[in-house]
Parts: sequence; C-alpha cells; structure tokens
Amino acid sequence: MIELKEIIKEYQVNGIDTVMALRGINLYVRSGELVVLKGASGSGKSTILSLIAALSKPTSGEVIVNGDRISKLPDNFASDFRRHSIGFVFQKYNLIPTLSVKENIILPLVPMNLETRDIEDKLSRVLKMFHIEHKENQLVKNLSGGEQQRVAIARANINNPQIILADEPTANLDEKLSLHFIDILKELKAEGKTIVVATHDPLFFGLNIVDREIEIYQGSIV
Amino acid sequence: MRNKINLYVIEYAINSLLRQKYKTFFVTFILSILVFLLSSLFFITNSIKYELKSTVDSLPEITVQKIKAGRHYDIDISVLDEILQITGVESAVARVWGYYYFENAGVNFSIVGLDEYEEQYKNSFVEAVKGLDFSKPSMVVGEGVKKIMDKNYYREYFNFIKPDGTLKRVDIGGLFKGETELESNDVIVMSKESVREIFDMEESKATDIVVRVANFNEVAKVASKIKLLYPDSRVITKDDLKISYQNIFDYKSGLFLALFVVSLFTFFIIVYDKASGLSSEQKREIGILKAIGWRVNDVLREKFYEGFIVSFFSYMMGIILALAFVYILKAPLLQNIFTGYSQLKTSFNLPFVLDVQTLALIFFLSVPIYIAATIIPSWRSATLEADEVIR
Ligand SMILES: Nc1ncnc2c1ncn2[C@@H]1O[C@H](COP(=O)(O)OP(=O)(O)OP(=O)(O)O)[C@@H](O)[C@H]1O
Ligand SMILES: [Mg+2]
Repeated sequence: MIELKEIIKEYQVNGIDTVMALRGINLYVRSGELVVLKGASGSGKSTILSLIAALSKPTSGEVIVNGDRISKLPDNFASDFRRHSIGFVFQKYNLIPTLSVKENIILPLVPMNLETRDIEDKLSRVLKMFHIEHKENQLVKNLSGGEQQRVAIARANINNPQIILADEPTANLDEKLSLHFIDILKELKAEGKTIVVATHDPLFFGLNIVDREIEIYQGSIV
Repeated sequence: MRNKINLYVIEYAINSLLRQKYKTFFVTFILSILVFLLSSLFFITNSIKYELKSTVDSLPEITVQKIKAGRHYDIDISVLDEILQITGVESAVARVWGYYYFENAGVNFSIVGLDEYEEQYKNSFVEAVKGLDFSKPSMVVGEGVKKIMDKNYYREYFNFIKPDGTLKRVDIGGLFKGETELESNDVIVMSKESVREIFDMEESKATDIVVRVANFNEVAKVASKIKLLYPDSRVITKDDLKISYQNIFDYKSGLFLALFVVSLFTFFIIVYDKASGLSSEQKREIGILKAIGWRVNDVLREKFYEGFIVSFFSYMMGIILALAFVYILKAPLLQNIFTGYSQLKTSFNLPFVLDVQTLALIFFLSVPIYIAATIIPSWRSATLEADEVIR
C-alpha cells in the first residue's frame, strides 16, 4: 500500500528560484494494484516515483508505504527500505556500463554479504524470469536497448521487492519490445506486486491489466 | 554474519580499480615513487646521522693546533709535556697525520701515524697497531683505500711521492677497521716515522696534539688554560667539532629537504586533485548504488578499500624499493650528496638503521591521507539526494 498525502515538492534552481514540481498530491495505491501515471513532459511523474522510492523528500506532506512514513526516514533507513521493498526501473536504466550483466544485477546484494549460494539462486531466478541467461557475462555497454532494460528489470527484482516503479519504460523501445515489456508487467502483476508506471506512451492507455490511469497536469492530479 | 568481512565489497573495490586500470596504475606508480623517494631520503639520513654520531663520539675531547697567519702549522712536541702538567688533563698525545693526494685516482687519503708503545687515542688504532710491522715500512689501509690501490695495481705495496719527488715504498700489511665506515674508509695507518718521511716533517714536530680530560665538565676550563699558555694555538673541543660536523650535515640535508618538499608537494597535488571532486561518471555510480539500496557507509566502505588497496600497495612497494636501493644497491647518486666531504669517492656501506618511527611516519604521510582523499569526495556525493545525480 502506497499513500501520498498533501505532497508539495519544490526544487531549488540556481540557489534562489524555486520550481514547484508537485502541488498538493493525494494518491492511494492498493497492494497488488497496477497504476499508470500519465501526463505531459515536466508534469511531475518522475518526481512522484522518486518520492515513493525515498530517493528524495517532499517539501511538505507525507509518503507512507506499508504503514511506514518513509518521507521521514533517515538516510540509512531509506537505503534499507529501497533495498528490500522497492524495485526501480529507471528511465535511463542507470546500469553501470563497464560491468557485466551478472555484476549489474547482483549489485544490490553486494553490501548484504550473503552466502554465495543465495546470490546464485537469486541471480538465476531473475535471469530466467527476464530471459537474459545467455548474456550473463557480457558487458552491459555491449547490449541493445531492450536487453539493457531487461537487465535493469532483473536488477530491480533481485531482492523480490513488493513494489515495482517504472519510469518511461517504453521510451527507448520499439513497438515489439514495448509489447514485450507489457508481458513482463503482466507476469509481475500476477506475482501480486504493486506497480506504478510513469509514462506518456499511449500503448498503456486502456490496457486491461492497468487498474487505474491517473493524469498529472503541472504538478496536480487531474 | 554481521562480523564477517564482506568480501563482495572488496571484490567490487578491486573490480572498480581494474575498470580504470590506467588511472589506477598511474596513481599507484606515482605514489610508489614518492614513497620510495621519501623513504630513501629518510633511510640515508638516518644511516648517516648514525655514522656521524659514532664519528663524533670517537673524537678527542680537545685538539690543539699551532696557528700562524691564520694557517695551521706543525706544532712542537715539547708543548706536550707542558700540557700534561695542567690539572685535569688525563693524557695528551702528539698526532702525526695528513692528507695525501693520490693523483692517479684524484682522491685524498688520510694518513695517520702511530707509535708502537704509545697510548692510542682511539680504540680502533689499538687493533691497527697490532697489524703493523714496525721493523719495516708497512701500513694498514681502509677498505676504500684498498679498492683504489687495487684498481691501480698496487696490491702489495704503495709508492708515496715525497715532497722532494723521491719515492717511499710502504707495504700493505692489512685492512683497517674503524668504528664507523665513514671514518675508516679513506684512512691509512702506519708508523709515525714513515708519515714524517712522506710529509717531510721534522722529528720534533707533530700535526696536532689531542688531549683527554678526566672530568667531562672541565673540558672548557682546560681548553682555555691551553689557549692562555699558547696564544698562537687553536684549541678545538669536541663540542666545536660536533657543530661543524652538524653543519656539514645540515647543509647536505638541505638538498634532501628540497627533495622531500618536492615529493610532498607532488603528493598533495594528487590528493588535492582527488579531493576536489569526482567525475560526473563517478558521481552517477555512487547515485546508482544509493538508489538500489546501498547505504552511505556501504559506499564509503567500498571507497575505503579502493584507497587502502592503492595506497598500501604503493607504500609497501616504495618501502621495499627504497630498502633495496639504499642498503643493497648502496644508494647510487643520492649517497654522493652526503659522502662527498670525505673527498674519497669510493663506495661506502650505509649502516642498516631501520627505525619503526620512520616507517610509521611515511605510512601516516601517505596511506591515511590518500584514503581520506578518496573517501571525502565520495562521502559528499553519497550524502546528496540520490535523485539529483541519476536523473
Ligand atoms: N533536480 C531538479 N531541479 C530543479 N527542477 C527539477 C528537478 N527535477 C525536476 N525538476 C522540475 O520539476 C518538474 C517535474 O519534473 P519531472 O521530472 O517529475 O517531470 P516528468 O513528468 O517526469 O517529465 P518527463 O515526462 O519529461 O520525464 C519539471 O518542471 C522539472 O523541470
Ligand atoms: Mg520523467
């Protein structure tokens, strides 16, 4: 369950001016729901995702996830929260291009100091699930855009988090790959995950797996 | 599990260094060179300080020379008896010695004359006298002298050229072992008679007189009494000599200081460069790690390992190279800066004086500073909102 209460988010630009990215957002996403945030560029979709992932803090208002007020979490707890509860598929994927597929995917596990077998188990689960076993040892920078996205999705799922956030997941994909991504969403939804997708790709509009479409306009919900 | 060292983080740190292998290699190389330079300087300085201290310790308490027109002349041996009358004087010995310039090699030897039945003013001479055959012209020579003579095919004897141009043949009887190598390297010991002949010195004269004083506190008093008795003499005490030795050393170590400053400067430029900021790629990487659930301290731990691996490896490399350079290769080039004043440019062994303090000093000058320079900018990046870096 994700809840945003009266969220205002301002960004400082060049020290003096402020840009108001979100102007009083109230949003409730139930467990297992697939919600699409849509809206023009600059409307505030990415800002909402980043608040849910505790990657930034609201100027005012509260973000509550599974009963925890994560907008108030100290930095270390925010990291722990992301590690265990959030799988974020970034718009630019945010992979480390000079590492291999495998190394990128297990990156969230590195500080956890798990047994090697645990790591191998978790890795092979997501490699299979997102069909990239055959690229395991290739460097990420040598992969196609679609493959890179699957690596990003695999990394987001390595700890089997309850919440998946995806920012403009189809922006860099052709139609065939976009449809493939929607298949992946279906699979994740079938596993009971709560999913929030930020997009302005019409492909997502009116999809039967999407529970709700929420339109953002200049920082407010329409 | 919590206490176990996280090998994955170490592995990540190593990978991260290898991913930028040229930069890592370059920094390690420069750091090693700096540690090498610094520690070589310290090692040589320590060794020579040790040698100088031993040399000064073995110096006579008072030396009396005759001075005329500001120059040093041979002194009358008769002075000896009067000096012995001064209260507080334990013993006094007339020394016969001088520098002999060996033209073929372009070096000076210090020739010291000894009497078989005289009390020796240095312990090392007691042994030397045993090696001398007083029934014929013979000598014992320092290791450096021996090498030079060998090189010039004087293996059994040496022909000294006297002031009148005639030759004086002296047999080589053995090797002279001094208390320190600096001291004994260029020394030749033979009978006073032979020395007088080589330098054309009268029987009634000596080069100088060394005086031993029973009570250390009376040295200054005795020295001023001698000066009063012989206004035409220069009376030098051990303390004076200590100062002039120290001056030579300080002058030489000025050069070292310059090198030292240069290497520190270079080091701080590297550190400054590192500390002044991360590339946007490095910032992004830290942002990504934060975004996928690394804590600030996870990031810092990883950076700590990176800094530690590079700086500790460089430290060890530098120290090992310096040890080999100074004590095995005998510090070519650098050593000459210091030992030039003995005028004998033969190799001379630096005594092995390794103190933990020096190693610790170099360690603290390099490793923690480098690690801090690695961690601090990463810490600044890691505590920013990850959101800012990865958008
Ligand atoms: N770090 C920042 N500093 C200043 N302004 C920011 C920052 N991040 C976002 N903004 C501003 O906040 C507003 C909302 O941005 P956001 O990225 O959330 O929009 P978006 O709906 O995701 O747009 P897009 O579809 O282009 O991704 C924009 O006006 C943007 O310029
Ligand atoms: Mg966006």
